Amino acid sequence: MAEKSSNESKEQKLVGLLAQFDDPETLVHACNEARESGYIKMDAYSPFPVHGIDPAIGIKRSILPLIVLSIALGAVVLGMGLQLYANGQDTAWPFPGYKFLISGKPIFSIPANIPVTFEIIVLSSAFATFFGMWILNKLPRLSNPLHRVSRFKRVTNDKFFLLLESADEKFNRSGSESQLKGWGAVSIDEVNQDLTDNELPKWLTTVGILGAILLMLPPAAIFSQWGQTNRHPRLHVVPDMDWQHKSKTQTVAANLSNELDGVRMMYNDLRSARRPVDGAIALGSLDIDSELNYGIKSDFAYTITSGGNALTGVAGSQGEKKEDTGAITVPAEQENIEKYVTTFPENFELTQEVLDRGQQRFEIYCAACHGYAGAGNGLVNQRAMALAATGGATWTSARSLHDVDVKDDAKNPVGRIYDTITNGRNNMGPYKAQIPVNDRWAIVAYVKALQETGIQSDTPVVEDK
Amino acid sequence: MTTVDPQSLDNTYDDAAHRTPLVLGGLDYEGVTDTACGFWEANSAPKVWWILLGLAISLLMLLGGLIQHLLFSGVGVWGNNNPAYWGWPIVNFVFWVGIGHAGTLISAILFLFRQNWRTSINRAAEAMTIFAVVCAGTFPGIHIGRVWVFYWLFPIPTEHLAMWPNFRSPLLWDVFAVSTYATVSLLFWYMGMVPDIATFRDRSKSKIGKIIYGLLSLGWTGSARNWHRYEIAYTLLAALATPLVLSVHTIVSFDFAVSQVPGWHTTIFPPYFVAGAIFSGFAMVVTLLVPARELLGLKELITLRHLENMNKIIMATGLMVGTAYGIEFFIAWYSGVTWEAFAFWNRAFGNYWWAYWIMVSCNVLIPQLFWFKWCRTTPWFMVIVCIFVNIGMWFERFVITITSLCRDFLPSSWAYFAPTWVDLGMLVGSFGLFFTLFLLFCRFMPVIAMAEVKGIMPRDHH
Repeated sequence: MAEKSSNESKEQKLVGLLAQFDDPETLVHACNEARESGYIKMDAYSPFPVHGIDPAIGIKRSILPLIVLSIALGAVVLGMGLQLYANGQDTAWPFPGYKFLISGKPIFSIPANIPVTFEIIVLSSAFATFFGMWILNKLPRLSNPLHRVSRFKRVTNDKFFLLLESADEKFNRSGSESQLKGWGAVSIDEVNQDLTDNELPKWLTTVGILGAILLMLPPAAIFSQWGQTNRHPRLHVVPDMDWQHKSKTQTVAANLSNELDGVRMMYNDLRSARRPVDGAIALGSLDIDSELNYGIKSDFAYTITSGGNALTGVAGSQGEKKEDTGAITVPAEQENIEKYVTTFPENFELTQEVLDRGQQRFEIYCAACHGYAGAGNGLVNQRAMALAATGGATWTSARSLHDVDVKDDAKNPVGRIYDTITNGRNNMGPYKAQIPVNDRWAIVAYVKALQETGIQSDTPVVEDK
Repeated sequence: MTTVDPQSLDNTYDDAAHRTPLVLGGLDYEGVTDTACGFWEANSAPKVWWILLGLAISLLMLLGGLIQHLLFSGVGVWGNNNPAYWGWPIVNFVFWVGIGHAGTLISAILFLFRQNWRTSINRAAEAMTIFAVVCAGTFPGIHIGRVWVFYWLFPIPTEHLAMWPNFRSPLLWDVFAVSTYATVSLLFWYMGMVPDIATFRDRSKSKIGKIIYGLLSLGWTGSARNWHRYEIAYTLLAALATPLVLSVHTIVSFDFAVSQVPGWHTTIFPPYFVAGAIFSGFAMVVTLLVPARELLGLKELITLRHLENMNKIIMATGLMVGTAYGIEFFIAWYSGVTWEAFAFWNRAFGNYWWAYWIMVSCNVLIPQLFWFKWCRTTPWFMVIVCIFVNIGMWFERFVITITSLCRDFLPSSWAYFAPTWVDLGMLVGSFGLFFTLFLLFCRFMPVIAMAEVKGIMPRDHH
């Protein structure tokens, strides 16, 4: 910075006289003397703040604290306002706020907004302090004639300086120098400003103009698009989760290519998902125990392959399709009673708990139509029959479980009762989706127990409690 | 003064007749400058510095590699999993942000209390603050999962998102508190450094050095008018940083305390966290400065008295932390809340008992050694104690975060947290980041606040 001190250019201007002192006391003393002699335009320089120098050269207290205070008060409004704008309303232009409703608490509540307000106050005040201080000090200043004095390098080390500026009314080249000597200056230097320094280098103008033009390009490009329409989608730097290359189930497969250049599907069959490979069985759906799962003797069970999938199935249960059209009774196909199991399956254990469970399930699923005692007089049945009598509905009465045919083990073995619950019969709908396998067998057990009792009473069976 | 051999002068004893000197070796103003600039002015750094820097940079590269691994693979590379979704990243965050607090305490609070002994350690401590906050900020930064949308943390109006941050969430308060803290610490640190950077500018022999330090020193001349406003600004920043530093760890503790989790939902957290932060921060300052004063030849400026004072603060804050541990247990019992009582029983005697007792031994028992003068004035010994304190304080955050999450209200959702190698690598790597920055700072920046040290030297020293 002080490289050019040997420059002999004649275009120099005397800035002032710089006197060096060896200790802070002498400096303060010299400053006091200078002030008393009437000097106003002067400054002291020291490696650290010297105690008592402010009154010695007549420095008035800085207004910095007032600047910081006013910024801090503004920050209160800024902090609260920001939060009110962002969380307290959702209609303002141009960017609506977003009200967070959390546990029914008020949308805007001062105590919860204090921490952020506090931080904004501190941050703003710190910026005000930092930048305010430098601005008031007229820094940064990258060129200063003082730095051309080689002795001045020691101001940041161990020496103390006093500058009497030539602009001061009292300043006199020789008179001031002798005054400084009298006040204890160890050495005195002239501080000269090189006026050629004030001219900008020529290349800087060119570079500056070029830079300014380049900086104008992005805003110009943006404004040229103002109010224009565009066929391309909006540019998202971070697309978040707005668009993902994924296919939802039961949809046509995603188009992998850019929308504008044709269609390129993920799979040729247009499905979004692949079909399972042959022989795949859904988790938890392995039902090779035909007796337990279908109530059908294993001799009659067979495996069918349809549509590339191996399904363990049972003759009859696959083929029988019941029409769900109200009262129209479709004549049942000739049924092979032989195929149904006549005893409870091996893997089903009948205990008192299971029977109780069966009763509970029966009263949930079956009693609505068949009645609590299984007499075929459930509330739904009663109401539907009443409506049917006036032509308000078509309805086929629910069977009484105490019918001779229903009770007959030969005509209606347990396997067939199970099949009835599973797949429905005549107008009765299937319950396999609602009732798990073991619960269905529990209901079968309860039905057999009901039939044994022979009770046909309409009142619910109430246990002793 | 003149008859005392400066080398043998031990300034840990108080002499009522004299103000205890804080600068030893009979240094005058120039001596202080020469000593403080010695390491920077040396043509080449000593081998030890290079070895340490190499080690630190390799750990830093480990951290960088692991962050890349995390970004490409997702947060599943950590041990964070149900129910402990706050794993080591948050433990490390609280650990590092706590470390930072000692720097601000030294530079701001001790300044307001006119504690002159702060002057030769405040610069290094402030630097430590900045670097610790850098480490701290890294962890929640990468913990957010989709790092590329980090700007969602800030209240930036976006048309396509149509959302604003929730200003009533402690996690958002945290964003504001930590970013404000980092910014204000940086301003404070840099402003304090400008007069010393000017010294570097004036002493620099290389062209590049002159340009860089010339730009950084902003044309500082040490003018009395500039000093006047500078000192006012410094006091104002100190006055701003004091409530700020208390607020930062308070708000960090709100991340826990505002939730309903047993063991977290307590009002003691803010003061307890702040005391713990200062405790761990001073331990880190001592850990750093004892080797640094050897390596950088700063024994005459960072004297035993400075170290002893810091050790006293460590002991005092350690006792506060110990008291807080006790009070937590008392309140857990006194509240009569089953969950709260269980949470604390579980901390001490549950499946994380080992972490709890590491914490208590390191934070409460070991600092008691500082009651003995030998322990707090023997550099190598105090470093060992301080390393234990840092281990203990890391475990404190581990205990708070992990034990409460792993066993909360529902026993059916209890689990045992297991960190992965990535967790461990990132913790170690964050030390690499910290030490890389600190070693570079030692070599290229003014480690001692020369202007401030000169300001507190007795006048008969020159």
